[in-house]
Amino acid sequence: MYTESEINLITLCSIEGLTYKNRFELLNGLESSEPDFVKCEKILIKTLTGGVYNKVKDSFYSSVFREKVLKELENDGVECVTYFSQNYPEPLKNIPCPPITLFCKGNTKLLSERAFAAVGSRRTQPEVLKALKTISEELSRHFTVVSGIADGADTAVLEGAIESGKVISVLANGFDHVYPSVNAPLLKRLVKKGLVITEYTSKTKPEKFNFPVRNRIIAGLSEGVLIASAAEKSGALITAHYALEYDRRVFAIPYSINVKSGAGCNALIKEGATLCRNTLDILDDFGMEFKPSEKVTLSKEESELLSLIRETGAAFVPDLAVKTGKKPYEIIPVLSKLEIKGFIVRLGGNRYSAV
Amino acid sequence: MLSKVTCFALNGLEGVPVEVETDINKGMVSYDLVGLPDAAVKESKERVRSAIKNSAFRFPVNKITINLAPADLKKEGSQYDLSLAVSILKADGTISAQTDDIVFLGELALDGNLRPVAGILPILISARAKGFSKFIVPAGNANEASYIEGAEVYALKSLRDVAGFLSGEEGFQPVSSRSFSAAQTSRKYDCDMSLVRGQSVAKRALEIAVAGGHNILLAGPPGTGKTMLARCLPTIMPDMTFGEALEVTKIHSVAGALSEEGIVSSRPFRTPHHTATTVSLCGGGNSKIRPGEISMAHKGVLFLDELPEYTRCALESLRQPLEDRVITITRAGGAVTFPADFILCASMNPCPCGNYGSAYLNCTCTPAQIQRYRAKVSGPLMDRIDLQVEVDGVKYDDLAGEGNGEPSSAVKARVEKARAIQRERFKGENILLNASMGERHVKKYCKLSAECEDILRSAFETLRLSARARSRIIKVARTIADLAFYEEIQPEHVLEATSYRNYDAGN
Repeated sequence: MYTESEINLITLCSIEGLTYKNRFELLNGLESSEPDFVKCEKILIKTLTGGVYNKVKDSFYSSVFREKVLKELENDGVECVTYFSQNYPEPLKNIPCPPITLFCKGNTKLLSERAFAAVGSRRTQPEVLKALKTISEELSRHFTVVSGIADGADTAVLEGAIESGKVISVLANGFDHVYPSVNAPLLKRLVKKGLVITEYTSKTKPEKFNFPVRNRIIAGLSEGVLIASAAEKSGALITAHYALEYDRRVFAIPYSINVKSGAGCNALIKEGATLCRNTLDILDDFGMEFKPSEKVTLSKEESELLSLIRETGAAFVPDLAVKTGKKPYEIIPVLSKLEIKGFIVRLGGNRYSAV
Repeated sequence: MLSKVTCFALNGLEGVPVEVETDINKGMVSYDLVGLPDAAVKESKERVRSAIKNSAFRFPVNKITINLAPADLKKEGSQYDLSLAVSILKADGTISAQTDDIVFLGELALDGNLRPVAGILPILISARAKGFSKFIVPAGNANEASYIEGAEVYALKSLRDVAGFLSGEEGFQPVSSRSFSAAQTSRKYDCDMSLVRGQSVAKRALEIAVAGGHNILLAGPPGTGKTMLARCLPTIMPDMTFGEALEVTKIHSVAGALSEEGIVSSRPFRTPHHTATTVSLCGGGNSKIRPGEISMAHKGVLFLDELPEYTRCALESLRQPLEDRVITITRAGGAVTFPADFILCASMNPCPCGNYGSAYLNCTCTPAQIQRYRAKVSGPLMDRIDLQVEVDGVKYDDLAGEGNGEPSSAVKARVEKARAIQRERFKGENILLNASMGERHVKKYCKLSAECEDILRSAFETLRLSARARSRIIKVARTIADLAFYEEIQPEHVLEATSYRNYDAGN
């Protein structure tokens, strides 16, 4: 069960009307089981307007409110890890304004493990998504992989690591909401196999301004951050800048100069982020040993076609047919085989790209 | 005096004999029509009166009572005019010939001319089956009627001609019966596969679709030739047999949509706009139940352009006819069954902005937006579309010079061979094509080797296919094997089939 000081923090975080900064400022007054309310009130009066102040104070002192909060959390199956809890992640304590309570669903043991974050844009190229999934899977053998839950890159990261169970998704909303809604099934699987955390109360909607705030947790939890894709202005870049601020290692996947969804990554590399082509590039930096996955064997026909696709980047089926001198319906089975084996991905419009 | 003349009513595609009885008696001058006539039939009273007078006959000035028997059947349409007029003239003694074995059909103009009516062909076919063999129809329906063998059909121009014919005047010849092959050779399509440049993947998919009777979805950026590809579908379908042509013509005749030719000799290609209502697609109507687009596309292609733009309920209404190949429309007045055996060809953009897969323009959609867009078409409907194909995201003009490609006739020859194999295989079953196979048939006719099973399993794992996709992939693989003359489904057939599944709900 929670200690008195933990309950103080949980209650504080369940009160509407306080910002994450307010909450962290109050932390100092609440360290002992006998909260130093005088100190708290001084801070509160300074930062809050009268009406909000009274509301916060009333809720905070009300034992009815406290019981209600705890009861609801228990009913929803939410476990709380507070700043004062034993298993509060150590790296997160070192950032300027950490969340003082994490609402968790799933395996909270993951919070104490070494973590690495991978994030990216929703508009990430299919071939990068495929590569990212593989990187995430390989990283999860050494780290707990941290990400958001947006579609695109974040989804690929989570999908890659979910089998190992070593995966944390940080939400920018309360547990009552799923954003984006298409990821509802993924969220369920994450709760079952990995961990989903948020600093927001259940009813909090995924507001636009929550996301940058959430990104500080992703960066804060992790020893390093991989930016898989980012346009010039992107949420992933915010995460990267938090990571730099918190002295975490930043990795970025390099892109061709005219790829919109990679402009941010290239800019990061220019600023000094480590270039990442594969898992090896990341693990090397941490001095870890990389055990490559089993090699899948390819037939002669398959490897010939694969090298053709590698030459051109994105290859059209009709063009490949012309180059190989075969009928399109003769190479489609080979392409399917390569896709199943994970060497190429579909880009849509009968184009394929090597991973 | 009392007279009796035979006409026919239409109930769906079935003709029902109607006796027109006229009684002229002394009494107050009156002119009554009974026997459940609808508005068009009631109005015929006035047309008939004028037509008789303007044909220089006497209109009786007595108490006239006309009864349409059976009295409990609703009479609709204008085909009763001629029988009413003949019946009145007979009762009045103007016409004295014997008319018991003749069926009169036709609408009258005020000047006594005969106008063509809808539904002649189905009526003639039913009437033949019921033992009638002599018909008088409007001249405008002559072509349509000429395909009925063994019937003595006179196509006349006016009421005067009818009276003349009945009184034994010379010079009236029955319509000479025409052979179907003549109509067929004159058939031509605007499209041909050889005119479509590039798009080899989609062309191959069309061939498979037609060979196995599979429904097909073409997805691709705007302006990549989806509609043109779809228009090629009828050109690679086997020619219609006379029996099929009659079936189709019956439906088109009932809908009043027959061309001058009188018979539908080329496969229908129907393209209802996406504002189409459920009733316009499936058929229906208040009193007279008319066939909808799906029945008009019988034995042909129903092309739904921009599939997600159709209303959900219109699309969902297609599910049952796609399965049963017929549609039964039930209204308060009764139920009518129309055949609806068509290949559904749908097209859609791959994403809301339309550029997903385009080689030139960047798609600005997020994966969630794309998934939401594709989910507009429900899973159960997608389930009935065996082939989901992407067209090349290339502008038409930029395609590598592949020459003119194969003409439709070459593709058609292969399709016919594959269909012959299927006919042989499904002897004794009540299906004709691979697409109609049920779970039982799949188990019996599509045995997979261990290697094929392995491929399927790994495909499901890595490509995250929905479980429902399985039997669809197997059916398509069966057709691909048939096209290649393989008894057993080979691994490459399964692999090719898995590549036509891009738009599953799971993806």
